[in-house]
Amino acid sequence: MENNKRIRRMFFVLSILIIVAVIIYFYARVIGKSLDSGLPLTADIAKKIASRSAMSILGMTVSAALIAVVSLAFQTITENRILTPSMIGFDSVFMATQSVLVFLASRWAVSKHLFSNPYLNFLITTGMMMVISMLMYRIILRKNKNNIVFLLLFGLILSGMIRSFTNYIEVLLNPQEFQQLKAVTSVTITNMNTGIILLAAPVMLVLVFLFMRKSREYDVMLLSESNAKSLGVPYTKRLNTNLILIALAMAITTALIGPLTFLGLLAVNIARELFRTYKHSVLFIGSILIAILFLVLGQGIVELLRYATPVTVLIDLVGGVYMICLILKENKL
Amino acid sequence: MLNFKGEQTMIEIKNISQAYGNTQVLREVNLIIKEKRITALIGANGAGKSTLLNVAANLLEPCAGTVLLDGKDIKEMKSQDIAKRIAILKQTQHLNMRISVRDLVSFGRYPHSQGRLKDEDEQKIRQAIEYMNLKEIENKFIDELSGGQRQRAYIAMILAQDTKYIFLDEPLNNLDIKYSVEMMTILRKLVKELSKTVIIVMHDINFAAAYADDIVAMKGGQIMKEGAAQDIIDQTVLTEVFDHEFCIANVYGKKVCVYFPPEDKSAKGDAINE
Ligand SMILES: Nc1ncnc2c1ncn2[C@@H]1O[C@H](COP(=O)(O)OP(=O)(O)O)[C@@H](O)[C@H]1O
Ligand SMILES: [Mg+2]
Repeated sequence: MENNKRIRRMFFVLSILIIVAVIIYFYARVIGKSLDSGLPLTADIAKKIASRSAMSILGMTVSAALIAVVSLAFQTITENRILTPSMIGFDSVFMATQSVLVFLASRWAVSKHLFSNPYLNFLITTGMMMVISMLMYRIILRKNKNNIVFLLLFGLILSGMIRSFTNYIEVLLNPQEFQQLKAVTSVTITNMNTGIILLAAPVMLVLVFLFMRKSREYDVMLLSESNAKSLGVPYTKRLNTNLILIALAMAITTALIGPLTFLGLLAVNIARELFRTYKHSVLFIGSILIAILFLVLGQGIVELLRYATPVTVLIDLVGGVYMICLILKENKL
Repeated sequence: MLNFKGEQTMIEIKNISQAYGNTQVLREVNLIIKEKRITALIGANGAGKSTLLNVAANLLEPCAGTVLLDGKDIKEMKSQDIAKRIAILKQTQHLNMRISVRDLVSFGRYPHSQGRLKDEDEQKIRQAIEYMNLKEIENKFIDELSGGQRQRAYIAMILAQDTKYIFLDEPLNNLDIKYSVEMMTILRKLVKELSKTVIIVMHDINFAAAYADDIVAMKGGQIMKEGAAQDIIDQTVLTEVFDHEFCIANVYGKKVCVYFPPEDKSAKGDAINE
């Protein structure tokens, strides 16, 4: 079919662009570093920088893919095209949990390893995010599916509250604890938590597979909750698994690269515009490619021009404006 | 009702109650839906018609009571198996996606194919499209259609689902008289030609009287009266159900309700016999 050909061509173009982006990124990092230091670029140094850059690209890929997939699934199950998990405060739950864990670790003997053991820490954080996302869905999201502005305000207030709570806990920490906390919560695209990349990558593959396997079911869900149920989708069961997987994915990307508030919104909506289809099998891949392209190309250009601000700030800027446009358009204000 | 194997084949609603907070929406409703007939569910706004339909189709879990689908408790059945037997179309449909008529109808095959359409599925989709006269517009997008065409596209989806039971919640809502008659004629054909069982919520009593075999009248979360259409279309019954004065006339040998109060209060509604 005509459209399938177009879609395949688009996948191809996006993949080429990603390869170009990777080349730009490597170039910027390797050349940039040697220019900065003024030292001649030896093969040894170049190799070291290149391998570190490869890790960064892997990290960006993992985060971008997770954010894209999760944002699309979340929008489908909540029947909206604007909100993503990041926008209603999932990242702030991550930060808050970390600060509480640091706080508890020094004051409560049993909990010593809760923060310092990375696996235990991750389990608790993910569990916390799951519980909160379930509560949020049950209490707020389900009943206000069509009221985007209300949900946004709610998300804003919730993350504001959680952030104040985090700040409050931080004040109670001693300087050493504070340092520990900052090591975990100040990760960004230029300061990734490289320790977990190799673990996160295979988990990302599994999660993407789990979401994509249900592509056809998500298509049916687009028809509305009652139609999906009438067509035999076990809706409540699927909602619960989705919320669990979404919380897991959000925990991984936040731990790896920090908050990426608007990347999901941009990737998913641009994929919808580009591919002009409702089919999740296409949209999942499309938004993953677009999200990766945004992060890697953006960061490559930023490093090439040697701007001090990381690309995530720019993405949030563009994404924020885009979101306002979407809200104005959808609500026809 | 028993089929030739001696199995029960019908929907049996037993002691269903439903409440939201303190408001009791359904009170111990009992109903047996007869096969191969059109049953019209009538009643004032808020009587609980939609709620009953949703409970019967497993879209909504009731606070108490059971629904037996062909003798089996619906709660113990897999969603997919229920979807092969009952299709339900809710009152309002608003679509968040751009989709062609053909693709929408294809979704009806989901319970059978899980999205991987086989030859048999393609055939059912084609049949449903032809049955609902959508052939010329099958490649149009749903948002380009008129209300009547859109409603027909949704019904075609339900037909493609190929279920024994079809539940429709106010499908005539956005349709003008021509399309309403057309829709009811199609439903009658479905019962006659394809042996479907149709349960339909409707507001216009005259449509119910003309096209339904049975009528179930609800009020305040309870079933007030049920029976053959001609027996329910009765002045005292309808007045009680709707809290409104009715006058029953006889046109072309069919009962017709007149529900406007007479301008001259003293004029008694006389049945006009043709
Ligand atoms: N989700 C809900 N929450 C609270 N009340 C509801 C809900 N759904 C229906 N109701 C109430 O239940 C009553 C029956 O509703 P419904 O079954 O839709 O009536 P009908 O279809 O006969 O007009 C109404 O009073 C309605 O306000
Ligand atoms: Mg209703």
